[in-house]
Amino acid sequence: MFHYVMSGLRVTSDLAMPGLIETAAAADAAPDVRIRQGEVPLALAACDTSGPNWQMAGDRFLLRIPGIVRMTLDAGTAITWQCEGETRPEDALIFISGSGFGLLMHQHGRCIMHGSAVEVGGRAVLFCGPSGAGKSTLAAAMAARGFGHVADDQCVLSGLSGGEVLVHPDGRAHKLWEQAITKLDLAERSGAPVRSALRKFFVAPHATSAADSGAALPLAGIYILAEARAPDLVKGDRVTITPFNLADAAIAVRANAYRPAMVERLGQAGLYLQAAAAAQRSGGVFRLVRPMNFAVMDEVIDALVRHWQDTGLAERVA
Amino acid sequence: MKPIVWLASFPKCGNTWARLLLANLGAQEARSINSIGTGDGIASSRRRFDDVCLIASGLLTHEECDAMRPALYRHLAARGGLRATTGEGGDDPLGAFQWIKSHDAWTSTAAGEPLLGGGTIAHAAVLIVRDPRDVVASLANHNGQTLEEAAAMMADPESAFAGRSDRQPHQLRQSLLGWSGYYRSWIEQTEVPVHVLRYEDLQAGAADALGALLAALGIAVEPARLERAAQWSAFERVQAQEAESGFHEAPVKLGTGRFFRSGRSGGWREELSEDLRLRIERDHAAMMARFGYLPEGKG
Repeated sequence: MFHYVMSGLRVTSDLAMPGLIETAAAADAAPDVRIRQGEVPLALAACDTSGPNWQMAGDRFLLRIPGIVRMTLDAGTAITWQCEGETRPEDALIFISGSGFGLLMHQHGRCIMHGSAVEVGGRAVLFCGPSGAGKSTLAAAMAARGFGHVADDQCVLSGLSGGEVLVHPDGRAHKLWEQAITKLDLAERSGAPVRSALRKFFVAPHATSAADSGAALPLAGIYILAEARAPDLVKGDRVTITPFNLADAAIAVRANAYRPAMVERLGQAGLYLQAAAAAQRSGGVFRLVRPMNFAVMDEVIDALVRHWQDTGLAERVA
Repeated sequence: MKPIVWLASFPKCGNTWARLLLANLGAQEARSINSIGTGDGIASSRRRFDDVCLIASGLLTHEECDAMRPALYRHLAARGGLRATTGEGGDDPLGAFQWIKSHDAWTSTAAGEPLLGGGTIAHAAVLIVRDPRDVVASLANHNGQTLEEAAAMMADPESAFAGRSDRQPHQLRQSLLGWSGYYRSWIEQTEVPVHVLRYEDLQAGAADALGALLAALGIAVEPARLERAAQWSAFERVQAQEAESGFHEAPVKLGTGRFFRSGRSGGWREELSEDLRLRIERDHAAMMARFGYLPEGKG
């Protein structure tokens, strides 16, 4: 059995899952989540709602990636998976630790954002956006500049109802495409492919962080990533960081939940409103608009560092 | 169930213009090029795939993505959930259908399913066609290619948009099959009724061409409304909007003011060398004759 800390929860798995934070088995307590191989039905009886490749029935969820893997998620505490066709487990694990675990967090009633995160001044800054927004790439470029890695794709937030908001790490690896690895000169830190058929790889972060052991860091702000393009591009600077007001922050935070459709479906809009208010309290929610071009990556990070100096988060240029 | 009307074209053949015309048909005031829906309005939207299927399409190969797309479109047609070009509700004459742009050629998945979900979910396809001799310069400008490179892409049966594998393209891969292959795939499939809309006919008279198309689709629209939509979508107006504020859907590297480049028909007479013109006429003879760009018999 393998033991991990994922998004602040103790997880056991009957197969090793790369890129995660390993931990010792807890002698005194049962795990929060169990991941195991087993028989998974093709459909759920009496499902309440469904999508093209998923079904939900009460606190049970079935997610299918045809020809690759299907899994059931139960009450936020268990994932059972079964490979389809000729697929080997190594080529299916990323869907279990990624999509499967993320949806399980919704079942668990936790607030989960679609974002990467880095450590700035002992706290965590989130970079949110849909797939392809540049979350992992920006976090990897920041790690090369000395900012510790906290999360690559999913950030669970806790402590929303008052006090300090905490960001829980999702693993200890970047997941980067070959192009980004080449452009950021990270070939030496690059490991196994995320799936054997993909030119996307696990990459060991440059900078260490308190989150490496699975510990949560206090939230210092949420940055929503956007590409500089018309009509914004023709109107101003190449890199802009603009604070959202609370109303817009609420919309942005909810839209950047991990799988936003699940927020509404599970009736958790209130949780994300709380998260937006908590983020505003903890440093703010901002829109970061920049060209998506490796040549201006340093310019983007410089702008962030100046911004953090202005807000008092960073004492000096990293 | 809200059936789909596919707005299908090879890139740079007038799809955006057709979408703007349709959007203006349903609008109460003139729509700008940046207000007719974002990248989500296209069949190959990655974000919509991820949002609806609850998985990251970026972790799938192009072929694995394709395998899931038919079920995605069937689901969206059943739920009326596609974010369409038009459909503001109210008195939109187009509101009975979901009008969705697609640069995907008509292809089947490895399992033999039509990629776009087949005939049961689609009312029709509007196939937007433009003289390939005019497409080549527009495509070269769009892709930052030479005219020769663009012509080679148009002749390549393996050509695709968003087909790279060393990074995550912004959209799902769209197999184009080359210019001729694209149009042949659509007119030879038998699942979805196809209505041809020629760019040149839009240019000769947008209101008439649009009216004829909609009549063929069984949609009646008053002539005054067609005229208004045509005026609101006039090329000079579109170009001025792009010069003023850019076009959200244009490739970023184009900068400002070049997505809507000339909008002319017959510009090839000045832009193409004799060799290149002959090459395109040779590469696409049969389809050019089919759509009236070459005399019958030359094909």
